[in-house]
Amino acid sequence: MLPSDLLMQRYQGEEVVPRRLPLSTEHLGIASEIIALFRSALGGTRADLQTQLQVLEGEETDYRIKRGLAHLLESAFSTFEMQSPLDPVALRQRVFALSAQAVPGPYSSTATVTAVAEALSQELEQEISPDQIRDWLYADLPEQQILKGFEEPTSEALVERYNLSQAQGCLYRASHVVITAHRNDPGEYKLLFRYVKLFGLMAYIEGDADHGFTLTIDGPTSLFTPSTRYGLALAKLLPALLHVTRWSLYATLVPRRLTPYTPQVARFRLDAGCGLVTHYPPGKVHDSMLEQAFAERWAHTKTPWRLEREVDLIPIPGSVMVPDFRLVHPDGRSFLLEIVGYWRPEYLRKKFSQVRQAGRQDLILAISERLNLERAGVKTTDLPARVVWFKDRVLPKAVLEVLGE
Amino acid sequence: MPRSPTLSFDRGTLLLHPPPPGKAWIDYAVWDDRVERFRIPAMYYRPLVETLNAAGVTLVDNAREFGPLTLTPTVEMTPYPHQRAALNAWVAAGRMGVVVLPTGAGKTYLAQLAMQATRRSTLIVVPTLDLMHQWYAHLLAAFPDAPVGLLGGGSHDSTAILVATYDSAAIYAEALGNKYALLVFDECHHLPSEFTRVIAEYSLAPYRLGLTATPERSDGKHTVLQSLIGPEVYRTSAEALSGTVLATHQIVHLTVKLSQRERQRYDALIETRNQFLQQQGIRLGSLTGWQAFVKASARSRAGRSAMLAHREARAIAFGTAGKLRVLADLLAQHVGARTLVFTDDNAMVYRISREFLLPAITHKTAVKERHDILQRFRTGDYPVIVTSRVLNEGVDVPEASVAVVLSGTGSQREYVQRLGRILRRGEGKLALLYEVVAEATSEEQLSRRRQPERQTRPYPQMDLLAEEPLAAEGEAPCYRPTC
Repeated sequence: MLPSDLLMQRYQGEEVVPRRLPLSTEHLGIASEIIALFRSALGGTRADLQTQLQVLEGEETDYRIKRGLAHLLESAFSTFEMQSPLDPVALRQRVFALSAQAVPGPYSSTATVTAVAEALSQELEQEISPDQIRDWLYADLPEQQILKGFEEPTSEALVERYNLSQAQGCLYRASHVVITAHRNDPGEYKLLFRYVKLFGLMAYIEGDADHGFTLTIDGPTSLFTPSTRYGLALAKLLPALLHVTRWSLYATLVPRRLTPYTPQVARFRLDAGCGLVTHYPPGKVHDSMLEQAFAERWAHTKTPWRLEREVDLIPIPGSVMVPDFRLVHPDGRSFLLEIVGYWRPEYLRKKFSQVRQAGRQDLILAISERLNLERAGVKTTDLPARVVWFKDRVLPKAVLEVLGE
Repeated sequence: MPRSPTLSFDRGTLLLHPPPPGKAWIDYAVWDDRVERFRIPAMYYRPLVETLNAAGVTLVDNAREFGPLTLTPTVEMTPYPHQRAALNAWVAAGRMGVVVLPTGAGKTYLAQLAMQATRRSTLIVVPTLDLMHQWYAHLLAAFPDAPVGLLGGGSHDSTAILVATYDSAAIYAEALGNKYALLVFDECHHLPSEFTRVIAEYSLAPYRLGLTATPERSDGKHTVLQSLIGPEVYRTSAEALSGTVLATHQIVHLTVKLSQRERQRYDALIETRNQFLQQQGIRLGSLTGWQAFVKASARSRAGRSAMLAHREARAIAFGTAGKLRVLADLLAQHVGARTLVFTDDNAMVYRISREFLLPAITHKTAVKERHDILQRFRTGDYPVIVTSRVLNEGVDVPEASVAVVLSGTGSQREYVQRLGRILRRGEGKLALLYEVVAEATSEEQLSRRRQPERQTRPYPQMDLLAEEPLAAEGEAPCYRPTC
């Protein structure tokens, strides 16, 4: 992601449009030029790298693009290390203590550095020059660190990352986002909600599996006053959203009042066709082998019931349940199927309490006979859903029986 | 039998369920459909509980995780009259409010008295790492048996007494909110910014103390302190305390002129910039003028050159070699005196540190090392320290008797506090503050805006270098906040 001062946005009325670089020869050329500069800066100091980048910026007006590309390379693709045989803190103590003996000034400095260099040369039995002492004095400052590693991206990947970062930057000033998830199969919602939870966000969910869902995402205190407190978390959520198949996003922004022309409120829109590329790893297709095996077996079963994966969302207070599967009959009937394999007792208690709160009549639970539900404090008699018991694998036949087929 | 209304804490807010009888509490609450509960801003904890108690509601309070704390001070001093008066005023105001005291008037000891009077877990929020360590050292000495910890600067403790930076406390505001009964905001004029105010907003703390020398903010946001901490309960000025607590001081204003070469370069750069401004019809005298310049500079090559010229001209004015020559002279004049050298930016700090071999403190200096440097400064092993803005606020450097300010900026607060740095009580000490600015550049006008009745004295050596004014007529001060 980019710092605010490198974000490039323009307003179309109240709509914010982030800068988007086309994958043109020109921009790929700039990207590969900067990548090459980093490659050649391997082994040098960060200050040297920055000087070269400054030269590259020149007096051109596109310097912020170059600076942004360089920022991404520096923060996400590079590793820096300190380069000094001596501990800089100890070296400074030694130099400053000696320097305090004289009247401070450029003349006494030369004498001090020379004295320290001579003493160290003897102690370490190697030639150390006064210039090296001056170099190592602040070797631990970020700008004195050495570029040690560089995981070189392609110029396309760098420009894609830049475009994603500019779009994420629009969300820094977001008070909340509204995501419309259209009818999707597979939905890939689990990954999205995992990130919603991870980043401390909350979602308000409306809709159904046949038409799609509206998710309003913000945080706990958004209820009282809209604030940009959760903007950074919303920006981090965007790459996860890009894994969902069909969606559109509408963000309400509180712009910084930079000029008298900046609107008080602004909007930012994006949808699944935006062409932005995520760098978050995709979620696993199935949570477990049990689910995967069941889906494969269903594909080979002769039945009019169609199996859909992760298409429904069941809002429960403070959370959301994403059932593994949905079964749809051509006549319109539908059921939700959740497979409960082996889990820790706390997880089971939470799962069954969620099922109870969901208050759904169309829920089927496939539960492993190996689970010691009694010990987990779950009574098998008052389970709030239809139950299919299974031993080692979930059989489509057993599920169809519960459906009345 | 119906369950009792229960209050719980959720990431900077309160959840109240089931809803209590009566109506008085509803003013604080908002129905949250996402969790199907009533939600209340954490900051309203105290009035909410007071309201429910008054209505005779039995409340199960699962929200608060703070409790009583045994505090046995090992060091007790007789408070100064102004400290006693401030404490009484704060307690009388229900232990919520802001106390305005000049730097050096013993705010830390006042906070210690407030903690002793309240005896609850306490979060102390400070603007800099130096202040963090100063408070830490003080609290360890005052309450050796109490659990004192740090949040920020590489530490992440969770103790009943916690000293945190504003940044760290804001980042962890959701987690800290229900753990402390007393909040102490040092230099509390930092609190109202959009990022940091959540420390107060997401907290249940029924008791709050704000400490500052200068509550006024140029953006007018200081009025928010009233709702975040409480009303101003006590105020006294440096003049009122002069001679009793604070040392007397003298300000010496030194102007240096640019060298011939610097002056030529400066003039050429200003010329480049002004030509562009003239073509564009931009006048720099106001905020909108500056914004127009920033905008225009991003649109064309000529604009970009003009902006780069403007920056280099400023760098010459701020970082001129002449100032370093004056610095060398001042240090020679005050050999052995505890001296603090202030500059405006880190690059200048490190330049001075490398050239003069003086220990430096910036925001990049690790906590341990800065502690060590300050320690050696106190013992006299290091008579001189060079620093950027990090030592500006409230850090206790009692032995400093000389301060040299190179290229300051025009913010009033910073000036007052830089000044305060060397105004610590000392035995018959006359503190000296030198302000060194380049003459007839935009920078000098900043300084003039800052201190209207100063004592001007041209620096004798520098008078030989140039005798005419250097900058173009109508040279405007820079209004950019980050300059």
